[in-house]
Amino acid sequence: MASVKLTDVKKVYDNKVTAVHDFNLEIKDKEFVVFVGPSGCGKSTTLRMIAGLEDISGGTVEIDGVVVNDLQPKDRDIAMVFQNYALYPHMTVYDNIAFSLRLKKMPEDEVYEKVTNAAEILGITEYLTRKPRALSGGQRQRVAIGRAMVRNAKVFLMDEPLSNLDAKLRNQMRAEIILLRQKLDTTFIYVTHDQTEAMTLGDRIVIMRDGIIEQVGTPTEVFEKPRNIFVAEFIGAPKMNMIDTGLVNEGGRWFVTPFGAKIEVTGEKKEELARKNVQPGDIRLGVRPEHMVLTANGGEGSIPCKLEVNEMMGSELHLHVYTEDGTRLIVRVPTINLTMEQREQLVYGAQLYITFEGKVMHFFNKESELNLIYG
Amino acid sequence: MKQYTDLEYLKLSKGQKLLYRITSFFCSIPKKIGGLFVALWNLIKTAGQVIGKEAADIWSTFVNGDWKTKLSYLVMGFGNLARGQILRGLLFLLFEAVFIAYMVLAGGYWLSMLPSLGKVGPTEEYNIIFDTYVTTYNDNSFKILLYGVLTIFFIIAFIYTWRVNVKQNQMAEKILASGKKLKSGKDDLRSLVDDQFHKTLLSLPLTGILIFTVLPIVFMVLVAFTNYDGTHDGYYNNLFTWVGLDNFNTMLNWQSAGGGQSYAATFGEVLSWTLMWAFFATFTNYFLGMFVAMAINKKGIKLKKVWRTVLVLTIAIPQFISLLYVSKMFAKNGIINGFLMSMGWIQQALPFWEDPTWARVTVILINIWIGIPYLMLITTGILMNIPQDLYESARIDGANAWQQYTKITLPYMLFVTGPYLLTSFTGNMNNFNVIYLLTGGAPTNPAASSAAGTVGYTDLLITWLFKITTGAESQYYLASVVGILVFVVVALISLVVYNVLPSIKNEEDFQ
Amino acid sequence: MSNMQNTSAPVRRHMGLRASRALGNTAIYALLIAISIIWLVPFVCIVLQSFRVESTWQVGYVVPQQWGLDNYINLFQTDFPRWYLNTFISALVTAVLQTVIVLCMSYTLSRFRFKLRKPLMRFMLILGMFPGMLTMIILYRVLKDLGMTQENSVPGLILVYIASSGMGYYVSKGFFDTIPKSLDEAARVDGATRFQVLKKIILPLSKPIVIYTILTAFMGPWGDFVFARYIAFGTSKGMNVAVGLYNWLNKDQISKFYTMFCAGGVLVAVPVTILFMCLQKYYVEGVTGGAVKG
Repeated sequence: MASVKLTDVKKVYDNKVTAVHDFNLEIKDKEFVVFVGPSGCGKSTTLRMIAGLEDISGGTVEIDGVVVNDLQPKDRDIAMVFQNYALYPHMTVYDNIAFSLRLKKMPEDEVYEKVTNAAEILGITEYLTRKPRALSGGQRQRVAIGRAMVRNAKVFLMDEPLSNLDAKLRNQMRAEIILLRQKLDTTFIYVTHDQTEAMTLGDRIVIMRDGIIEQVGTPTEVFEKPRNIFVAEFIGAPKMNMIDTGLVNEGGRWFVTPFGAKIEVTGEKKEELARKNVQPGDIRLGVRPEHMVLTANGGEGSIPCKLEVNEMMGSELHLHVYTEDGTRLIVRVPTINLTMEQREQLVYGAQLYITFEGKVMHFFNKESELNLIYG
Repeated sequence: MKQYTDLEYLKLSKGQKLLYRITSFFCSIPKKIGGLFVALWNLIKTAGQVIGKEAADIWSTFVNGDWKTKLSYLVMGFGNLARGQILRGLLFLLFEAVFIAYMVLAGGYWLSMLPSLGKVGPTEEYNIIFDTYVTTYNDNSFKILLYGVLTIFFIIAFIYTWRVNVKQNQMAEKILASGKKLKSGKDDLRSLVDDQFHKTLLSLPLTGILIFTVLPIVFMVLVAFTNYDGTHDGYYNNLFTWVGLDNFNTMLNWQSAGGGQSYAATFGEVLSWTLMWAFFATFTNYFLGMFVAMAINKKGIKLKKVWRTVLVLTIAIPQFISLLYVSKMFAKNGIINGFLMSMGWIQQALPFWEDPTWARVTVILINIWIGIPYLMLITTGILMNIPQDLYESARIDGANAWQQYTKITLPYMLFVTGPYLLTSFTGNMNNFNVIYLLTGGAPTNPAASSAAGTVGYTDLLITWLFKITTGAESQYYLASVVGILVFVVVALISLVVYNVLPSIKNEEDFQ
Repeated sequence: MSNMQNTSAPVRRHMGLRASRALGNTAIYALLIAISIIWLVPFVCIVLQSFRVESTWQVGYVVPQQWGLDNYINLFQTDFPRWYLNTFISALVTAVLQTVIVLCMSYTLSRFRFKLRKPLMRFMLILGMFPGMLTMIILYRVLKDLGMTQENSVPGLILVYIASSGMGYYVSKGFFDTIPKSLDEAARVDGATRFQVLKKIILPLSKPIVIYTILTAFMGPWGDFVFARYIAFGTSKGMNVAVGLYNWLNKDQISKFYTMFCAGGVLVAVPVTILFMCLQKYYVEGVTGGAVKG
């Protein structure tokens, strides 16, 4: 139940490699913040600096207004769940959960109360006398969460807690973490490399790359208004299509000209372009696969291309296509919109025409890779 | 020499590849030696820079510091005391007091005597009352050298502590200036079981190593530059003194001073046998141990535990018993010869310990008996770690048992055990027990024995060294020279092997 | 390929495989039996000869013509009990203290990342390249000044055994390295100090390596020959079993003491071997787990 504030936090290793560059972030009380990014982006390092497991090379970390740089982990009043659970193998589940309470010299009856209570919530009461090795992955994960829960810590840190679970269990645990969050009502910092987890769990998402924050925002913000190409490609699956093309202005109307086609920019995007005083020229255009649609032959806005791979995902098809100049694009088509006959024609080498609407486009500067509107 | 690209290299035939690798290894030697010098120069440069920086820092701390800091330059710990860190301050002060007291009372004397290692030896005086000669013992070269070195250690420690003391003042000023509180003595004590716990844990082991390994080694290295031996023991008969590089001259000179073989020739002979021994002892054990492990682990072999236990028995029994006993079994009138003769297979006792070649082969064979159980245990563990799917895939690719061994097992084993092989090689070079308990160096090598006591054909450098120190003349200075040379040889081998060892270079290959 | 071959080939291959495997296994059994005999013969011989009473010198046969316990009884007329006691005491004390030191050292080097860690390890590696025997000369003189040699050799020996034992940290460090670091971190987040982490998490998980360390530390003094001989320096009362029994095999002693040497050897070997065999599991674990990583 506390705010966390990071000011110019830096991590430089002995070999002069900088893992985290001036990291600035204010996390509000009871907020759920997710650090997300590809491996090696410094997200775990940042979390571990907050936990006190990693020395802070520069800047300050404050918890509840107190600078904790020089405090040992045990003195920071935090709880943490590790990727590989880090359950003490020689202790029973009960002792694992009770460990921190006993270190605080809490009376045994109170310990019992708290441990059984936590076990109840997590549904692991029947395993309390077992050793961790006799548990399944999901159960171990629950014990690890239970161990963190009983501490009533100010901040709850989670370092890739779901990445060792199989896909099905991960979905289930993700839902449980959302429920848990409502019960605990404390500040959460959650690290993951999985953008789905980030989108579904976080109040705010911090997207990192090479030790630098690329964007901070709510899931909607980072999805709809990516600040740069990296964020645009990182959030959303399959990733956003990128097309090098021209942006032209013909008497107040904006057009993009991908692969000889000509598509008008409409809606909010059009207004923003004018408002931000964007200059026409060569740009990189981003369109999400689900915003591309198949269209009939010809027409001003249609892009001819050939089908390379057709992935049947069940409710939708992922069509990997390439245009005449060899650019590869992905199109996401709901299965329900296609007749059986149409689907049978989607084979290797089939000639297709695709297009997209004017309101779904993202415009990026080719050099700086920044979003022309939100960058 | 022509450098190939990776693809060009792959096109070469097997012989060409080998040739290419050998030539490129030798061509890289000058570069590596050059690199060594560059590294050395860089080291000196950084050391100089560090010292300069420290000096500048000390100066600026003094100039910019307040009066408490300034006074701490003279009275260590004053700053801590004045700022309320009583415990730290007292420790600093105590250390300074002890240091000054020691230097005044003893250290100064030892240090002043160090250049001469003592001026007055034992003197004899006629005592009229008792009507006999009485010996008075005066200076003690041994103690002078020992305590001289110790005093230098102490001075270094003092300078370091003084530097820490200065730094603490600097930090304390900074912390106070930023409005924070200093750590109290209680905090300090608490941190000794927490964030500074490693210092607590290391203090005892490192003190032991410092006093019982580092100090003696420094002392013994210095002895190589003196004439310390049985007749110059530094107290009871004669003082010993510095002789410069004389001993190295003697040892490394091919011209013999008196009659007979020179030291250098003897050293060369012993060294070549030492290397030969280390090579055979290491690799026979390694391959035979691996072979036995594979035999026991083979699928379908029963009673695995029994076979293993039988072998492990040799580890359990103290080596001196098994080695001494086995040595006697092979003696002229021992059980082996007795058995062979009673069977009528031989007429005369076999000269296991009398003939140089026989003796050398026998120690290597007996060493196999000693070594296989260890290697069997070690290799069993690693063999079981080799992923089974490697073998399955090799069998599907059409490899027979021998090919599986040479293409999968052996590369994997060599990769994992590379560092072990190196330590085991150097360990064997210094394998005192096996040689000394089996043969004691015998049979004697008459040609080599004139100079530094008896030298035998199976003597390793280490047993030779032992004999020099325990021999009639106790030429400690010579033993010390041999010891330094052993170090040089071991260090050179380690350096070369470490540089070509794949497990160090490509750590991830098999992971 | 014709159908005929297709049906017959697997059958033939199968039989061949089985036959060759059986042959191979027979060869291996023969080899293992031969090895067992070679490895056991010396121990059988030493036991048999310790019961020989018709002569005390070396003979060319193994089975005694006259059996008896004379050699064992005679041992108690010599300084052997004293040697045994010396060795036992030093082994016991060494086992305890050396284990503490080795564990301190290896745990620290495995778990803490401090500035001097790498240089320290490199320094110890280099130190290890010096022949340790050289230092004996000076240690003997210093211990002599302290009165810890000859008759009082036991404390001197213990001091020498344990003082530098920190350098033998490789095996147990290799073991500690296999315990996930996240356990330490979890415990520290849970509120444990470093000391509590060691006490409550690491040590309970390190039983095999603790036992391994105790075992090897205990066995060391039983086989030590060089240092013990130096420190006892000809004083019978200060010797350990290795030095004492070694002296019985001198040219001028062996004819009188050979069978007693065998008896003494058996008395030394039996308890050590029994202890070792009981704890064999841990020893194997230590050797296979930690030794190679170095």
